[in-house]
Amino acid sequence: MSRHREIDSTAGGYTIRLLESYVSILVINYWLLNMEIKKGIAVSPGISIAKALIIDSEEYRIPRREIKASERTTEIQRVRNAFKGAIRELTKLEAAHGKSEGSKIKDIFAVHMRFLHDRSLRKKITDLVHSESVTAEYAVSTILREIASHFSKEKDAYISERAADIYDIERRLLIQLLDRKREDVEHLTEEVTIIARELSPIQTAGFDRKFVKGIASDAGGRTSHAAIVARSLGIPAVVALEDLTESVSGPDTVIVDGNRGIVIVNPDDQTIQQYREYSKEFAELEHKLDAIREKPAVTRDGVKITLLGNIEFHDEADAVLQKGGEGVGLYRTEYLYLNRPSEPTEQEHYQSYAETVSVLQDRPVIIRTLDLGADKYTQRKRFAPEPNPFLGLRSIRFCLQNLMMFKTQLRAILRASVLGDVRIMFPLITNLQELMQTKMILRDVMEDLGEESIEYNKDIQIGIMIETPSSALTAFSLARDVDFFSIGTNDLTQYTLAVDRGNELVSTLYSSADPAVLRLIRTVIQDAHKAQINISVCGEMASEPEYIMLLLGMGIRTLSLTAPMIPEIKQMIRSVTLEDCNNVARKVLGMNSERQISNYLRAAARKILPEAF
Amino acid sequence: MKFADFVCFKATIPELKARDRDGAITELVSSLGKAGRLGKGKSKGLARAVIKREKEASTGMGKGIALPHVKHKAVKDVIAAIGLSSAGIDFSALDKQPVYSIILLISPVDQPDRHLQAMENIFRHLQHEKFRKFLRQCRSAEQVEDLLREADENSSL
Amino acid sequence: MQAEQDSLEKVVCETEVEIKNADGLHMRPAMQFVDIANQFDSDITVSNNETEVDGKSIMQMSMLAAICGTKLKIKAEGSDAAKVISALRELVEEKLFGEPPP
Repeated sequence: MSRHREIDSTAGGYTIRLLESYVSILVINYWLLNMEIKKGIAVSPGISIAKALIIDSEEYRIPRREIKASERTTEIQRVRNAFKGAIRELTKLEAAHGKSEGSKIKDIFAVHMRFLHDRSLRKKITDLVHSESVTAEYAVSTILREIASHFSKEKDAYISERAADIYDIERRLLIQLLDRKREDVEHLTEEVTIIARELSPIQTAGFDRKFVKGIASDAGGRTSHAAIVARSLGIPAVVALEDLTESVSGPDTVIVDGNRGIVIVNPDDQTIQQYREYSKEFAELEHKLDAIREKPAVTRDGVKITLLGNIEFHDEADAVLQKGGEGVGLYRTEYLYLNRPSEPTEQEHYQSYAETVSVLQDRPVIIRTLDLGADKYTQRKRFAPEPNPFLGLRSIRFCLQNLMMFKTQLRAILRASVLGDVRIMFPLITNLQELMQTKMILRDVMEDLGEESIEYNKDIQIGIMIETPSSALTAFSLARDVDFFSIGTNDLTQYTLAVDRGNELVSTLYSSADPAVLRLIRTVIQDAHKAQINISVCGEMASEPEYIMLLLGMGIRTLSLTAPMIPEIKQMIRSVTLEDCNNVARKVLGMNSERQISNYLRAAARKILPEAF
Repeated sequence: MKFADFVCFKATIPELKARDRDGAITELVSSLGKAGRLGKGKSKGLARAVIKREKEASTGMGKGIALPHVKHKAVKDVIAAIGLSSAGIDFSALDKQPVYSIILLISPVDQPDRHLQAMENIFRHLQHEKFRKFLRQCRSAEQVEDLLREADENSSL
Repeated sequence: MQAEQDSLEKVVCETEVEIKNADGLHMRPAMQFVDIANQFDSDITVSNNETEVDGKSIMQMSMLAAICGTKLKIKAEGSDAAKVISALRELVEEKLFGEPPP
């Protein structure tokens, strides 16, 4: 049931049906020249068809690409132009170095220049283009590498060192051929598909949606933050393709199918056509879903559910409203800390929070304090890496041991609290002591602000994430001292089942439909109700349609999820009655196997919204 | 910041006379006063301030520890006093358990960072069950001092 | 030096030279060789016992890897064949590419 388990896991429920008709045709096309279909993990829905832009790859290999016989003349001209361009560049470079360097540099330039002027070299390359109908890049790379390897076999050290020169010349020519677009993500002028080995969330966040149409990477996983960012930016993305960067060449066209987790390199015309049609249908579907944006999230028997959005950056607040969210249920503030040499200042914190609130006005904004885990930040700071980082000094524990840093964030949140309905949420609280300490610090910070006559909301709502078995099992006592809970189902599942959700070797074991996890969730909900505090679910479960009936039936009335999924979840809510949900929950809580639960939930959801499943 | 930097060992009370919260706080405050650590004439109302704050929000952290504190002009730098009670005192702690170890912390009004540094240090050591246990088991001011000094030596980075 | 009169001024000249500088025909000498060769119209072929390469191509000349003492045959074909053979012979055997002898 969990998306991880399905081979064809998708990020958007509706789209599975649509795809099946296309896949069979794709299979037939597979063997056609040059076109390559690669399977990865779909992390952000949608379709894109655009030219590849490969970034960050230093060790690129030029794959063999064939051209039509009629294209050979053009291709040979490309080779000639590349040589011309390279000579031009080198001349400029030589002039720039001029007399300042020693003769060694001069020698190197001289060698390169002569190679670039060498007609027989050029002829060798163009002959290859002609005889085998291959691309200029491939011919250049092949011939030069041949020469380089010949050199490196020579006993004479001087000659063998020249191999490096040859690689250099190869690179120089390739840059001409690939038009320098290789590295320049910041000055895009046309639509591209970003291809990379791995993408950091900051890189992803920097992509201009106008030009970056799709993303595909060798590494990464469903819950990686780059994936989360791609999703919230609405850029189709597929990750974990393993060797994509080796299969793509500069001018290749790439289709990214972020629904099915497929990337197609160099699609033939027929495939492109099919995908264009499919993309249109998908857009129409999205449009239909957007239409319910104005409609309330109310069950058929009149029970109101509050739908909030999860954000990482303040400028995603807009998207939440656009998709019909009623506020921000989880503002992950880690991004303020990532990829910078120093900690953010109080003013930087405040700015982000203030901007978020200004967009959301009087709607709730729940800001979660720094939840940096070992995988992101704390490991770099420590002198000795921890042996078990996920169970170590991270998140609130890290904050309590770094009060200067913690107080900076708290001050900013408190200052922003006068601007709207700002609520503060603490992650990874596992026991009363941690809660006490945290509240004590918060109080101290409030007193300081009072001393400085800085305004803040004295009655700011304070909540905690319930994401560990210990906090889930002691929720009743924690509930007495907070204003709300939010269940972080991702981590709760992870810690309860002892499975690393990012580890593809065991990820199939990760499932929120596990009876142990569900039992804990139910306990937390009951404790929250008893203490009469608000409770919401903010993990991935909240964005998966087949879990909605169960969550509602267990007593959840507030969900916080990624903005793009809000319309679909709302659709689900509007299609069920609470009575049915209660029945589903009752049945499920009596089951003992994850498989049984998964299947049941899926079947129940299918009855409600057949087109989604 | 280490314990030795801000704890007044002279003011340690290994067995508090008071049986109630307010009394314990008052006892510790006057202990600090006797040790000469409070500004002359400025310590009026200090105990009252701590108690008032304590009433608003209990500093009983659970596991038998309480950390009453306040910012007050009576001090120029952070100062703390340790008080132990074998019988236990009701601090309205979150876990509803009695408090056996009290760390009274007085911080200067205008140095919030020093205060936080002291808190950070206290939190770090209170995480360790052994520390809490040993603290509770101390029978004399010397034992308390030894324990805190040793903790200072062994604190993990 | 042998000269054969061919139709249309196409002259063929050949000579044999010996590499006399200590370091042999490494990159710098090869570049000088190629530079001179490229100043003339004639086609130039250089051969040792195993291979024959284009004397105007740095890529090919540098692959010759002739060491000190190696004997190379140079053949020039074109209207200025005699001139280029003369220049090349001078470079290799008299100037030693401007490098020290063994």
